[in-house]
Amino acid sequence: MKQTITRFALEHSRTVYAVVLLVTLACMAMIPFLTIDTDPENMLREDDPARVFHNRVKQQFTMHDMIVVGAVNNSEQGIYNPTSLQALHQLSKGILELDGIVRSDQMSLDTVDNITQEGPGVIRFEWLMQDAPTTQQQSEQLRDAVNRLPMLANTLVSGDGKAAAIYVPVESKDESYRIAEEIRGIISSLQSQDDFHITGLPVAEDQFGVEMFIQMGISAPLAGLAIFMLMWMFFRSIPLVVGPMVVAMATVLITMGLLIGMGFTVHIMSSMIAIFLMPIAVVDSTHILSEFADRFRPGEDPKKVIIKVLDHLFTPMLYTTITSAIGFLSLMLTPIPPVRIFGAFIGFGIFLAFVLTIVYIPAYISRMKPESLESMQDAIHRLEGGGRLGRWLPKVGRMATGGRYAVLLVSLTLFAVSVVGITKIQINDNPVNWFKADHEIRVADRVLNDHFAGTYDAWLVLERPSGSASSKAFVDQYNKVISEAGKQGIDLIPLQITDETNLYEMATAIDDRLFSSSGLLEAGDEEIVWLEELLVLVEVQLEQSRVFQSPEVLSWISDLQDYLLSSDLVGKVNALPDVVRTVNRELQSGNDKDFRLPVTANGVAQALLQYQSSHRPQDLWHFVTPDYTSSLVWLQLTSGDNQHMTQVVELVDNYIARNPLPAGLEYGWAGKAYLNVIWQDAMVSGMVDSLLSSFAVVFVMMVLLFRSVKFGLLAMLPLTFTITFIYGLIGWIGKDYDMPIAVLSALTLGLSVDFAIHFLQRYRELRKEKENEVALAEMFEEPGRAITRNAIVIAVGFTPLLFAPLVPYITVGIFLASIMAASALVTLLLLPAILSSRVSGQVSGQALRSAS
Amino acid sequence: MKVLSLFAAAALAVSSFQMVQAADLTSADEIVKQANIASYYAGKDGRAEARMKIIDAQGRNQLRQFTILRRSRKPGGEQDLMVFFSRPSDVRNTVFRVVRHPGADDDRWLYLPGLDLVKRISAGDKRTSFVGSDFFYEDVSGRNPSEDNHKLLETAGEYYVLESKPVDPKSVEFVSYKSWISKATLLPMKVEYTDSRGKIYRTMEVVKVDTIQGHPTVLQAQISNLERGSKTLMQMRGVKYDIGLPQDIFGERSLRKPPQQWLKK
Repeated sequence: MKQTITRFALEHSRTVYAVVLLVTLACMAMIPFLTIDTDPENMLREDDPARVFHNRVKQQFTMHDMIVVGAVNNSEQGIYNPTSLQALHQLSKGILELDGIVRSDQMSLDTVDNITQEGPGVIRFEWLMQDAPTTQQQSEQLRDAVNRLPMLANTLVSGDGKAAAIYVPVESKDESYRIAEEIRGIISSLQSQDDFHITGLPVAEDQFGVEMFIQMGISAPLAGLAIFMLMWMFFRSIPLVVGPMVVAMATVLITMGLLIGMGFTVHIMSSMIAIFLMPIAVVDSTHILSEFADRFRPGEDPKKVIIKVLDHLFTPMLYTTITSAIGFLSLMLTPIPPVRIFGAFIGFGIFLAFVLTIVYIPAYISRMKPESLESMQDAIHRLEGGGRLGRWLPKVGRMATGGRYAVLLVSLTLFAVSVVGITKIQINDNPVNWFKADHEIRVADRVLNDHFAGTYDAWLVLERPSGSASSKAFVDQYNKVISEAGKQGIDLIPLQITDETNLYEMATAIDDRLFSSSGLLEAGDEEIVWLEELLVLVEVQLEQSRVFQSPEVLSWISDLQDYLLSSDLVGKVNALPDVVRTVNRELQSGNDKDFRLPVTANGVAQALLQYQSSHRPQDLWHFVTPDYTSSLVWLQLTSGDNQHMTQVVELVDNYIARNPLPAGLEYGWAGKAYLNVIWQDAMVSGMVDSLLSSFAVVFVMMVLLFRSVKFGLLAMLPLTFTITFIYGLIGWIGKDYDMPIAVLSALTLGLSVDFAIHFLQRYRELRKEKENEVALAEMFEEPGRAITRNAIVIAVGFTPLLFAPLVPYITVGIFLASIMAASALVTLLLLPAILSSRVSGQVSGQALRSAS
Repeated sequence: MKVLSLFAAAALAVSSFQMVQAADLTSADEIVKQANIASYYAGKDGRAEARMKIIDAQGRNQLRQFTILRRSRKPGGEQDLMVFFSRPSDVRNTVFRVVRHPGADDDRWLYLPGLDLVKRISAGDKRTSFVGSDFFYEDVSGRNPSEDNHKLLETAGEYYVLESKPVDPKSVEFVSYKSWISKATLLPMKVEYTDSRGKIYRTMEVVKVDTIQGHPTVLQAQISNLERGSKTLMQMRGVKYDIGLPQDIFGERSLRKPPQQWLKK
């Protein structure tokens, strides 16, 4: 079959060229439809319970994605001075004019209300800062006012008085980058010496998308260029370089075109597909071309030679293709959609590269001019001499075999040390850390979280269990009124209820009928009496369901707030009790002694009715639903680290275990920081599955390939050592285990087994004819050079990533280069060391003889 | 002028036959003055049961039900007003008391039974939400016509169309508003508020008008906040004029002891 394919390619080289070109162009045509996705939420499936809950909470409490703009004045008087406040005022007004923001929810000193005493018995509601202060005295009055409002202090102005913030809610987070740029424009026109910073998850995500887009346009071509130059250095032959490059380009363009054309968004991981595929795609065609040049003699029919070459290389190439692809395809076992897409398309790309190699490269050779064939041959013969690699590789070989015990000892020690390192791995991710430490977003994040209670949100939601059914006694009592009204000739049948009827909605329906909003006729006097009777019944039930008016429940929340604040993990907790107590204080004496909860639920309701009589009545619904059955406790955290969030969750779990929730309430978490925890957990367990299963599959394949368990085990050694070593290193240097790091495990597996396959395959061939020692020494000639060259090509192909402005790219670049280096080294040192030991040499010799 | 209002609603127009003009009015200020009287001064006194249905952007409802008693000392002049809340039940017996002083700040008081508290509310901003609805306090009590400069834009159809701009732009959140005042009843039937970006962000529409005891009266009106996506429908029932409300029930004493005989239908 392999010959049929090769013959077809050789005889229809024009067709092969045309098909490759057409398919590539067709797929390229889809690339402009690219959509970038940087939302960490998409790490979870759309129907993931945590994500569904998060989005329900977001809607229920109208929580918008927020851009945080901070102004910092480090002088002694801080931000409370006329110049700073005027600039802040002007900035806030300017932002309100921008498109794409939710104006009514912007939080800034000039858009919020103050509630104060204006003399004994007089209460005053007004804008907190309608006009910016013009004197220092006015500025200080503003400071005193802010410090009296617990909802605003340390949220709008930092506790140290040095910084003020504007919270800008955006209609769609996809526009955050544009809005942030427009805000930067306003800032540059301000007459202010203060430092301004912009942060917030939507800006970070959107900005990341923009930079990722640029990065894709730069990194992939750069990687291509680096590989091209390196291959030129090795081979000094245009045809030897052009053929593989065409395969690599076509692989990358077709794979990306298909990904986009099939409607997948380009996520941080899939943006790296091009960079991953390019070096992998180059390797096989280089193999074919070198071997072809090696065997070809002038005057021969190149087509016959190429058929022989492919016949010889087909099986090892197929195996390395399958093993590399398995590493990536195993990522489809993780529960994280972007990682699955990444794995699937790279796996596909690896197979595509294989197909292109065996079809396109023969066609390419068959169309080469005799002069080109000759120059290519010259290039290969130059390589025979070996150059620098040829000089030091045999030394490596002697070191490995001569000092085998030292090599084994060092390897085992390193292995043990690495295992310890793995136990030290910290699982943690934070999208803001995807930027470099000196990026303006990281700087803003650091500065603002230094001053304020925290720009990261976690939402603890308390609620009455859904579907709290009405008692049968009540339903019967209520429906009896309706049937009695019916006897009097008044038809109230549409208002009948069951135990599952939502009474809040039913109260509205009865009230609608009272005011005949649906019909044209006003309810008659007779009817009103019956409707009122029904409404009074329902009201009694509703009063019991409005749990978040209960002073007992509010006081439980308030205790939790105090507890969380005392823990150092939480910067600030905003919740309904703060609103109630503040309004109550001002309604009463205005003194601190009245900063307390009213004694009755009606007192709470009436204080809140006053809170709603402000410029921003809708603010109340960020903390409680209008039916008072769910409430949101807003925690401000100073970091977006998963570990931080996990500790907070544990803290709350423990507290609730000791202090049970009142009134049968239930609780749950929402907010981006929490979602990150969920998908990180899913990723870690998913990666373990993926790694173990691909390890098993690769092992089985190795046993099949070598028809020997012993050789199968040997082939697994380099990758086992490399993975252990790389993750041990991550543990020891304290680099957080984040998404790119997690994905690398699969990669290591796929790539480092390649070296072992090539090494053992060649060793086995040599061993059939020669003594163990001779065979091993020869391994460090041509075979050793091929392995080293491939390792260098792949490692260098990834180096452009080191210059990327985004941390995940740098991480991948560094670790891939290390993986290549480590697995090439382990292959060239550890395998010969083991093979040269007498026992092993004899055993492998027997295995070979029995296999052949 | 002012826009609808609770009281537009409770609307006590000056006697309506005076208002049906044989010829169109040509002075913007005169139209606004008459609209104010039509909206807020119908009858010598009056009573209405009202409810507000506040509907937020997600379609969730809140209800407010209350009874209004009103007595004008003279048409277009000082006026007493009390609002007694009956629903939701948790705010039952909360009372607002207002004494309107045209041309000066109103006096406002508040009684909260749950806190057993009578509080005076400082004069100050009147464009804050009325009990969480999309109506402003000022929509309920009436905006003083002299606070805006009015310009007559159109008289062609059945409405006078006016554009009004605040005398003191800092005191309000709008840059201008445009009103459609019915020539027949002199009630503003629609008002659109425009913000600094030139966008209409708030509207008032009269949904239902009826003539009660000769006074054209707004029975249903809706204010929409286009920015928030919320709206409030206010509905009236049991509107009666000239029921002979005594002046002394409008005192502070009625905050804690509502005049029950006048609240019942």
